[in-house]
Amino acid sequence: MAALPRRIIKETQRLMQEPVPGISAVPSETNARYFHVIVTGPEDSPFEGGLFKLELFLPEDYPMSAPKVRFITKIYHPNIDRLGRICLDILKDKWSPALQIRTVLLSIQALLSAPNPDDPLANDVAELWKVNESEAIRNAKEWTRRYAMDN
Amino acid sequence: MGSCWCKDKTDEREMYSPTAGPASASMSLSPGDARLRAMKALDPSIVDQLVMEMLTLIASFVDNDEESPVLLVKLHVIADKEEGWLQVVSSMVNVIPLDNPLGPSAITIVFDDCPLPSRDSVIKLTKLFRLSRQRALSNALDVKMKRNMCVVLGCIAEKLAGPNSVAVLTEETLDFLLAFLDTNFEPCIVLFALIALEKFAHTTENKLVIRSRFDKEDVNPLLKLEKLANNEDYVWRQVGFCAQWALDNLFVIENRPLSYETVDMTPINVILNSHDVSEYLKISCNGLEARCDSYSFESVRCTFQVDNGCWYYEVTIVTPGVMQIGWATKNSHFLNHEGYGIGDDLYSLSYDGCRKLIWYKAKPASVQDLPEWQPGDILGCLIDLNTREAIFSLNGRCLTPCTEIFETTRCCKQGFFAAASFMAFQQCRFNFGHLPFSFPPTDRPFMAFNDYARLTDEEKKVLPRRYYLEKVRNASIPENACTLCYDAVADCTLEPCFHKGFCSKCAAQLRECPLCRAPILNVKRDI
Repeated sequence: MAALPRRIIKETQRLMQEPVPGISAVPSETNARYFHVIVTGPEDSPFEGGLFKLELFLPEDYPMSAPKVRFITKIYHPNIDRLGRICLDILKDKWSPALQIRTVLLSIQALLSAPNPDDPLANDVAELWKVNESEAIRNAKEWTRRYAMDN
Repeated sequence: MGSCWCKDKTDEREMYSPTAGPASASMSLSPGDARLRAMKALDPSIVDQLVMEMLTLIASFVDNDEESPVLLVKLHVIADKEEGWLQVVSSMVNVIPLDNPLGPSAITIVFDDCPLPSRDSVIKLTKLFRLSRQRALSNALDVKMKRNMCVVLGCIAEKLAGPNSVAVLTEETLDFLLAFLDTNFEPCIVLFALIALEKFAHTTENKLVIRSRFDKEDVNPLLKLEKLANNEDYVWRQVGFCAQWALDNLFVIENRPLSYETVDMTPINVILNSHDVSEYLKISCNGLEARCDSYSFESVRCTFQVDNGCWYYEVTIVTPGVMQIGWATKNSHFLNHEGYGIGDDLYSLSYDGCRKLIWYKAKPASVQDLPEWQPGDILGCLIDLNTREAIFSLNGRCLTPCTEIFETTRCCKQGFFAAASFMAFQQCRFNFGHLPFSFPPTDRPFMAFNDYARLTDEEKKVLPRRYYLEKVRNASIPENACTLCYDAVADCTLEPCFHKGFCSKCAAQLRECPLCRAPILNVKRDI
């Protein structure tokens, strides 16, 4: 590995020293660019009470390009597909090198509070979210209970 | 990965039934009807057949940008529900043959592609396996199934870190895996049991449990297995390699010197560069043997660069699976998580003797009339910078010279390094000339790296990765550092927005201000 960039060291140190409430991000013991992430479902959202596991990887040209993040825990959400891929502008064209791991994870947590069915990644989920929001929310709660609460 | 199939999901519940009648597995399906047929395909024999078809497919599936092939999509859809997932995994255990060089890699590919199972599903699976020490010792399971179970447990450990990984590593699972750390078993079982333990140990709690079990033995089994690192049998050799790596990196024993402290490096003047390697590649203590046990595509360059003249090195193939071995300049990037490696850009060239392909610009050129490489085969890599030719050979039989690479690397004036990429569970050993070559080129004079390269004693140390990580984590960072890279001093102001806090190197890569997104018209250096 090319020497680990100071930027990554700095962010890792800060994540350890001042963790973000509701989010844990722990670097892999063998790969400092790979983080095991757990995000707690926000209060007053259908994901409340769930613990969602994600993986976050810092590519070679980070921070000039965005971290790669995906949900590992299954989640019923219009902007997250079945492979856990996330539709979020700051992970794509709106990335800025001034953003950090912590800001990215906060944005993802915010996405759980405010699903956006008009910019869907999972079409069927988005569709239901638009035509029958209460049923979609029921599904999301059910998935949270089934997949995100077993530990 | 493709993007289409996950978006057109309809309600599957009514279609999904484990009791549905058998459907014939078809060889030619369009992605459109894959889901529907997959739903019917829960008949175990059909899932078995899908798994076998997938093995063939993986051997021919070479385009990184291609959409996820229909077969993988089908397996994915089946595995989306617990029952289907259990069936896919059971099928893989039952049918993946020992002699297929891509078998274990295929299991990692399926795991990586399917949604992660819930903890309950995984625990159900381990119950289904009925793991125990007796089961490991009994003849009820054949060698193939025992090996495949170990591969599966390793994949699960890799995917489920933390508390879920702890929950899976029950006493019974541990008994089952530990029973195999014994030379009375087939080496392929020992190997994958060891790799599974290594992956479980990535979660600290598991590591402590495994280590305490090792401590209870009269002699730590890893100490016995590590002695096989130079064994003539290529599977036992892998066991030895992994045992030694585990002892140096994971299950460190007091009073056992680390391998790099005891290895004789006197005759060796060039090694695989442990600072120029992707994250998960394992490098032996003498720096000449490398192995990947991760599902990513791991790459490495050597320490010595050649700019002119004619050079040659050899590689002993330890595992017969996918490796891409050849030449790369420093411009070639190791995009291990995207599946790109040596031969996948303009700045590198490689041979993959499993699929018999020469790789350049991520495009394969098929090689005829050569057999697939086997353990013990010698790959020769010659680069002639005078005549602008790169020539691969297998056991002395030369392939057609490659010339295109010299066109795309000419402008950047960067020299070449020996380099290689590895799929999961692949291993090979390099000879840069510290030992006599087996098939030296006879048609032209050539040089060996080892006769011209020099390394300091410090540079010859292949430090265990954890030392290296500890070293960088303890590094301190100056106050006035650039807020993007933290490497250089922040000495630039962006105009017209006047935001500060960036070094000139980072500023040069920006088109808009990272803070306000205003276009940058000018970068002003302070002072």
